[in-house]
Amino acid sequence: MTTPRLALDRLRKRYRDTVVLDDVSLEVAAGETVVVCGPSGGGKTVLLRLISGTSSPDAGDIRIDGASVLNLGPEERDVGMAFQNFALYPHLTAFENIASPLRAHGLAEAEIKERVGSIAALLRIGHVLGHRPRELSNGQKQRTALARALVRGPGVLLLDDPLRNVDAKLRYEMRLELPRLLGSFGSAVIYVTQDYKEAMALGQRIAVLRGGRFEQVAVPPAIYDRPANVEIARLFGDPTINLYPCRPQAMGGGTIVELFGDRLPLEAAAGGLAGRDVLLGVRAEDVEVTLEPVPGAVPVELDAVTPLNVRAVLYLRTRDGKELLATVAEDEAPRFGRGHRSVWARVTPDRFLMFDPASGARLLPVAA
Amino acid sequence: MASLVLDQVTKTYPARGKPAVLAVDRLNLTVNDGEIVGLLGSSGCGKTSTLRMIAGFEGVTSGSIRIGERPVHMLLPKDRGVAMAFEGYALYPPLTIRDNIGFALLRERRPRAEIAARVGEIARLLEIEDILDRYPPTISAGQQQRTSLARALIRRAPVSLLDEPMSQLEPQLRAILRARIKDYLIEHKLTTVFVTHDQTEAIALADRIAVMEQGVLQQFATPQALKEEPANLFVASFIGEPPMNILDVRPADGGLAVLGLDGRPAFHVALAAPMTARLAAHARQGGLKLGIRPHRVRVGDPRGLAATVVSNQWLGDQTHLALDLAGCFLVVVAHGHVRSAIGEQVPVGLPLAAMHVFDAESGNALVHGLDTREAAAA
Repeated sequence: MTTPRLALDRLRKRYRDTVVLDDVSLEVAAGETVVVCGPSGGGKTVLLRLISGTSSPDAGDIRIDGASVLNLGPEERDVGMAFQNFALYPHLTAFENIASPLRAHGLAEAEIKERVGSIAALLRIGHVLGHRPRELSNGQKQRTALARALVRGPGVLLLDDPLRNVDAKLRYEMRLELPRLLGSFGSAVIYVTQDYKEAMALGQRIAVLRGGRFEQVAVPPAIYDRPANVEIARLFGDPTINLYPCRPQAMGGGTIVELFGDRLPLEAAAGGLAGRDVLLGVRAEDVEVTLEPVPGAVPVELDAVTPLNVRAVLYLRTRDGKELLATVAEDEAPRFGRGHRSVWARVTPDRFLMFDPASGARLLPVAA
Repeated sequence: MASLVLDQVTKTYPARGKPAVLAVDRLNLTVNDGEIVGLLGSSGCGKTSTLRMIAGFEGVTSGSIRIGERPVHMLLPKDRGVAMAFEGYALYPPLTIRDNIGFALLRERRPRAEIAARVGEIARLLEIEDILDRYPPTISAGQQQRTSLARALIRRAPVSLLDEPMSQLEPQLRAILRARIKDYLIEHKLTTVFVTHDQTEAIALADRIAVMEQGVLQQFATPQALKEEPANLFVASFIGEPPMNILDVRPADGGLAVLGLDGRPAFHVALAAPMTARLAAHARQGGLKLGIRPHRVRVGDPRGLAATVVSNQWLGDQTHLALDLAGCFLVVVAHGHVRSAIGEQVPVGLPLAAMHVFDAESGNALVHGLDTREAAAA
């Protein structure tokens, strides 16, 4: 097996009485981007500080290309960083900002010029290299910060929520551009964000960091379709997944569950759940809403229509008084008007997620 | 509730040693009784000044504001019949959350039972029931914001004003709270004006949105109309996530030549003679731009043009693609899971009906939807 570019090995960190990171392990290959995603306070920033060397772990090891870097200072580690607040030197031009890590390593002037020029061309900021930060747009600042982090071709690249402070247009452009850009440098990339869509768009793998632990590390579709627990299911999805306490029952050789005053047959894999309390999750896109009754649909009240990008969220109330969020394609939304009318909703039992109400762990779909 | 009319409302701020800053420029806006209107724009566009003038915290430099039939722009805030939720929350620290929310009703001398019922209802709606007996400094920013919202919404005032009402909300609560708030506003027929920089929030809540830029109203229309008939390039590229694809085009024989990033013709859009002539006439005065929304591009259309996949991102319920179409860069959204790998070819259809043409010079829209009847036979 090849040595990973970056290895985090059972890292622990506590501040006073609070455990901030608890037994965190992860391996990132050269050329791979792992997105660390999770709510604030989960330990993301501390993790970056440990890797960059501005803070030390209480236990565990950090290795780059197989060699421990714990005894190296931030400047000696082969790590580049870019932050959400850009952190450019205000008195230096974009060129000098980008060149600064190269100068620190004593590269020859001609080589500096060539390297800065080529990374600037790649990031489309070649025409503003003579400008100081205050003369740059937010997008240009962000690209300059990224160029500075990338210019040395670091073995490990840390990106701390770099798209947080840029406008929607640039965010989408960068989201689509970044994978190609990051891949072309061969760095092991740790990318931190709270935005699950950004995580799914950019990560070859996603590591969900909550309460100081990696609760799930997997490829993006696996996190979305088979979240390890109910909190991850709630983090990944917009609108947030619908959740209902239920109790599946054995009936006529199969298993059923009562939901919205209706009895729904469950797939065979749910057989083991008969008679126990579960939290049933239904994603908004798995609810089909119609103006006329269709087989398997239940009557619901549509209380509001709130469009969401290329979809619209329908806010429904079921006969048994539960709230249900459904999404439809934007083009279909006008049929539903402003809301406050009766419609029909149908859910697909084979798309149900089920969780243990106490531990939150996923029960269905069962692990592959 | 009541209608709200802004008539030629202008706001200038004096600046020392410099010309005065024009924050809002002759703004006309009519909010119908019971209508929900969003003021949307980036910082400095004039949306917050507008809201503060409606509330009475800023005077108008010129113009007038009416609520119902009554001119209010010379009145004190408390006499205008408005309830406002502040971006900075502005809660009373010595009062519990319950008393903060019920304060205005208490002052109106409403029966205690009614106040308790209404506080309970709005607290349930905004999920702050469990903190009603706590004090503002002890709760999170998101909870303070929900308290501020509750305090404004509970009053059911003739006009409700909400300043960035959901900017601090926890992402997992956003969709459900937007839905419940909209339901509440509709149920009580509350005339509402809210300010936001977040188009997702504006589109979710508003019946109509006023898009502002540098103090000037760019367009005032339903969310659907802003998407389908943007008045200009600013609105076209501001509204929509991801934003509209904007391509350079120039008139060519029998239609338009779409230009690639290198400025050379990439592909041809065939149009009938009258439309071609009309666009060519415009192009003589300045350039043309062609717009198409990401989700109107049809991926997998067997009669489409071949494009190369540059990037493919599956977000769980939709696919975002970047495509290279003969040298043009296109962003595409598909509702399903498109599995094409980077470097693969996919056919894409660009429906004429989904194309917008803009004057590159003024930015103004010229055509929304190139009618299929105008397309020349291939």
